[in-house]
Amino acid sequence: MNKAKRISAAAMSAAIALVGVAALAACGGNEDIAGKYTANDGTQVTSNEVTVYMPSPTDLDDDLKAGFEAAYPGMTVNLWTGTTGEITAKLESEAANPQADVIVLASWSDGLSMKNDGQIVSYQAANCDKMGEMMVDDDYMLYGTSASAVGVIYNTKSFPDGLDADWADFGTAEFADVAMEIPDPTKSGACKDFVAGFSTGIENGDSIMQSWIDNGLKNGGGNNPAIEAVKAGEYDVLIAGVDYNAYSAIEDGESIDFYYPESGTVINPRPAMIMKTAPHMDAAKLFMDYLLSEEAQELVASYYLIPGRSDVACEGRTSIDEIPTYNTDWTAMMAIASDKAQWIVDTIAGK
Amino acid sequence: MENSVKMQKAAAIIIYIAVAFALVVLVICPIVSIFARSIITDGHLDWSNVAALFSDSEYFQTIGNSLLLGLSVTAVTTVVALPLAYIFSRTSFAKAKWMDVVFMIPFMTPPYISAMGWTRFLGRNGFLQQLLPFITNSQDFLYSFWGLTLIMTFNAFPFMFTLMKNAMLNVPSSLDEAGAVCGGGFFYRLRKIFAPMMLGNYAIAAILVFIRTIGEYGTPAVIGLQMSPAFYVFATSIQKYTTVAPINFGMSAMLSVVLTILCFALWLIQNHLTEKKTYKVVSGKGVRVSYKKMPLWGSILAIAYIVIVLLLAVGVPYFSVVATSLFKTVSGGLSADNLTFENYIELFESGGRGVNAILASLFLAVTSATIASILGTIICTFSRRRKNRLYKAPEAVGMLPEMLPAIVLVVGIMLFWNALYKVLPLYNTLGIMVVAYVAIFLPYSIQYVTSAYTQFSDSLPLAGRIMGGSKSYVFRRITFPLLLKGIVTGWMMIFIISFRELVTATLLSPTNTLVVSTYIWRQFEQGHSQLAMCMAVICLIITVGALLVVKVLTERKKR
Repeated sequence: MNKAKRISAAAMSAAIALVGVAALAACGGNEDIAGKYTANDGTQVTSNEVTVYMPSPTDLDDDLKAGFEAAYPGMTVNLWTGTTGEITAKLESEAANPQADVIVLASWSDGLSMKNDGQIVSYQAANCDKMGEMMVDDDYMLYGTSASAVGVIYNTKSFPDGLDADWADFGTAEFADVAMEIPDPTKSGACKDFVAGFSTGIENGDSIMQSWIDNGLKNGGGNNPAIEAVKAGEYDVLIAGVDYNAYSAIEDGESIDFYYPESGTVINPRPAMIMKTAPHMDAAKLFMDYLLSEEAQELVASYYLIPGRSDVACEGRTSIDEIPTYNTDWTAMMAIASDKAQWIVDTIAGK
Repeated sequence: MENSVKMQKAAAIIIYIAVAFALVVLVICPIVSIFARSIITDGHLDWSNVAALFSDSEYFQTIGNSLLLGLSVTAVTTVVALPLAYIFSRTSFAKAKWMDVVFMIPFMTPPYISAMGWTRFLGRNGFLQQLLPFITNSQDFLYSFWGLTLIMTFNAFPFMFTLMKNAMLNVPSSLDEAGAVCGGGFFYRLRKIFAPMMLGNYAIAAILVFIRTIGEYGTPAVIGLQMSPAFYVFATSIQKYTTVAPINFGMSAMLSVVLTILCFALWLIQNHLTEKKTYKVVSGKGVRVSYKKMPLWGSILAIAYIVIVLLLAVGVPYFSVVATSLFKTVSGGLSADNLTFENYIELFESGGRGVNAILASLFLAVTSATIASILGTIICTFSRRRKNRLYKAPEAVGMLPEMLPAIVLVVGIMLFWNALYKVLPLYNTLGIMVVAYVAIFLPYSIQYVTSAYTQFSDSLPLAGRIMGGSKSYVFRRITFPLLLKGIVTGWMMIFIISFRELVTATLLSPTNTLVVSTYIWRQFEQGHSQLAMCMAVICLIITVGALLVVKVLTERKKR
C-alpha cells in the first residue's frame, strides 16, 4: 500500500514537474510591435504572430521561420508542417474556426481550386514584379515561391551503364522485368500535377500510363518512401520522382541518379497563398513579403528547389530554362487532376 | 454513523457526475460530431453517404478485407501467445521476470517502423537476400495476405500474452493438483480445469487484438497498399478520405459508423461470455502457484519456441532498424565500410530538436497515462460495485474509443473543439493532445482494471465490510491493492503507446511542437531514414528503461 502511494506520488510529481517545464517553454514574448513594420500595401502590422502551414522539405520550413523571426524581431511564426493532403484536411476541419494565415501547397492545381472556391485573397507582395513567368497568377493570389519538377530516379547498381529511356519506353517489353514504381499522386502534389499534365499535354498520355501499369508499375506511397525504396534497391526505377529529393540524396552519396526524359515534364510551382479567413491578415502580408525576399529565395535554392524569382539562381541543379517541358494547360489540368490521380491509384490497385 | 454513510453517498454521486461529465466531453461529443457529419452536409440532412455505402461494392470489399484480416491475426496471435503465456506462468520459466520486458518490445515499436523494418528485410534486394543471395522471391511472401498477417501478429501478440499470463498466474495450483489427484491426465486437466477458467480473459484479449487489428493503419499502409490487388482495410480507407484531397469527411465518418456498430456488437458478445464464464480465483484463500518442473525435452522445446518467436517479433525488425541507423548510405547496404555512428551524433547535435521532441513526448505520455488510469479505475469501480444500469453506462462509454480507429476519434475531437474554440481555446495547444490521448487510451486502463476485477471474489471486500471497515477504507486497504497490478500495467501500456503515437500527433500537434513520432516521420519525409531509425532506437531505450523502473517498483511491493 505504502509503495503504491509512493509510486503514484512519484508519477504525479513527475507529471507536475513536466507540466511546469512545458509551461515555461510555452511562455513566449508578448512584445508590442505596433508601428514597427509595414506590409507592401501600406498595412500597419499590429499582430505579432502569423500561423503558417507548409509542406516538406520541413528543414526549409524551419529555416524560413527562423529567417522571418530574425528579420522582424518581435514576430513569431506558428509553423505546422504536413503533406499537401494533410494541410487541406486541417483547413477543412478548422473551417468553423480558421487558424491559418498563410498556406503553401505542393500542387499548383490544388491552389487553383482554392482560388476557384474563393478561399484566398489577392495581395501585391513586395518584389512581385520579379517573379518568374508562370510563378504568379494574374490576380496575385498564388505565388509560386518555389517550384519543382519530376523526372526519373533510378538505382545505379541496377543500371551500371546509366539510363536515358523516354516516358513511353517504360511501357515496352524491354522494361517488363524492371521493378518500377510511381509516387502516390493522391499524396504527392508534384506527381498529381505531372499525371494531370501528362494526360492533357501529351498525345496518348493515358495509354502510355496504362502501359506502365501493364508492365507491373507499383504505387510507392509518398515522395520520400518511394525514393527510399529506390535507394534500398527494392525498386530499380521511380517514375515521376521529385527532383529536389533526388539532388539531396545524390549529395548524400547514395548510388542513385536522376534525369528528365526527353519528351519533357511538368514544372510545378508550389503556391503560397493568404487565406481569406486569416486571423492575422496584416502579419500574413508581411510573411508573404518575406517569402519573396532575396534571402528567402536563396534559402529555397539551397534545398535544390527552383526559386520563384527569376533573378535568384538555382544552386547545384538544372535551372528552369534547361528543363524540357511539354505543354501545360493548368485550367484543363485542374479540371481532371484529382480524378486522374485517383485513376492511377485505382488502376494500380487492380480495381 | 448514519451521517457518514450519507456523506459517502453524496461523495459517490458527486464523483459519478464528474466522471460522467468528463466522458461526455471526452468521448460522446466527438463521436456525435462525427455521426452528425456523416449525415449532415452544410446544415442539411444528406443521405448520399448511406446510399453510397450500399451501392458501391468497394466498401463491401474494404469491410470484408478488414474482418478477414482481423480474424486471421487473432487466430495466429492465439497460436503464438497462449503457449508463451503458459510457459511464463506455469513452468519454471516464470521466474525469468526480465523476459516480460523483452516481450513488450514489439508493443513499444511503432507499427509503421516495424513494417518498414520487415520490408527492408524481406523486400527485393533486402537484407535477407543480401545475406542469403540464393533467396530471390521473399518479397512475394512479404506482400501477401499471410505476410501481412504475420507482421501484424508479431506486433499484436504482447497484448494477449500479458493479459493471459497475468490471468494464468492468478489460478492457484491447488485446483490443478486436485484434478491430478483425482486421476486426470495433463491434457484432460488443461481442457477441463484450466481452459474454462481462462475463457473470460481470453475473450477480452482476443477482442482487444481483433479490434486493434481492424483499426490499425501503419502496417496495412506499408504492406497492404503494395499488394496486388491492393488490400484496403478500414483504417487505410478512412485515412484516405480524411487526409487526401478531395477530402470526404462524410464518407470517412460513415465508414467509422459501420466500424463502431460492428465492434460494439462484438463487445456485447464478449461481455456475455465473460459474465457466464468468469470464475473467481482470487479469494480469501492464499494463492499458491507451484511451477511445473519440465522434462529436459520440454525445456529444450520451450526455449526453441521462445527463441523463434523473439527472432521474428524483435530480431528481424530491430536488425533492420539498427542496421539502417548505422548506415552511411541506404544504397550502400550491409557492408562493414558502410557503418558509422555519426547519425546518432547528428541526432543530438541538430539544434536540440530531437531532445525537445523526446521531452514533449514524455510529458504527454506521463500526463495522459495518469489521468486515464485514475478515470479508468473509478469507472470500473462504479461498474463493478453497483447493480444499477446507470452505473454500468460509464464503462460502455469509456470503451467506445477502443472501437474506433484513432484517426476517427481525432477528427471528431478536432471538429468538436473547433466548435468550442470561442468558449475554451484548447485547440492548437498541448492540452488538446492530452485530451485526445486520454480519450483514445482510456479503454486500455478500463480493460486492465476490469481484468483484475473479474478475478477477485466479492467476498474479500464484503469480509472487510463485515469487520467494520467503511466503504472507502475497504477500497483503500483491500480493493485498491488487489487492483494495483492491473492499474499499473494499464498505466504502462498507455505510457508506451502514447509515447510513440503517430496518427493523433500528425493531426493535432500544435504549431511549433514536435513529438517523437512526428520527428521520426519528418526525418522519413526529409529522406533521412537513418536519423529516423536512430530516433526509433532511442525511443525503444527510453520505454524499456521506464518499463524496468515500474517493474522493479511493483515487484518489490509484492514481497
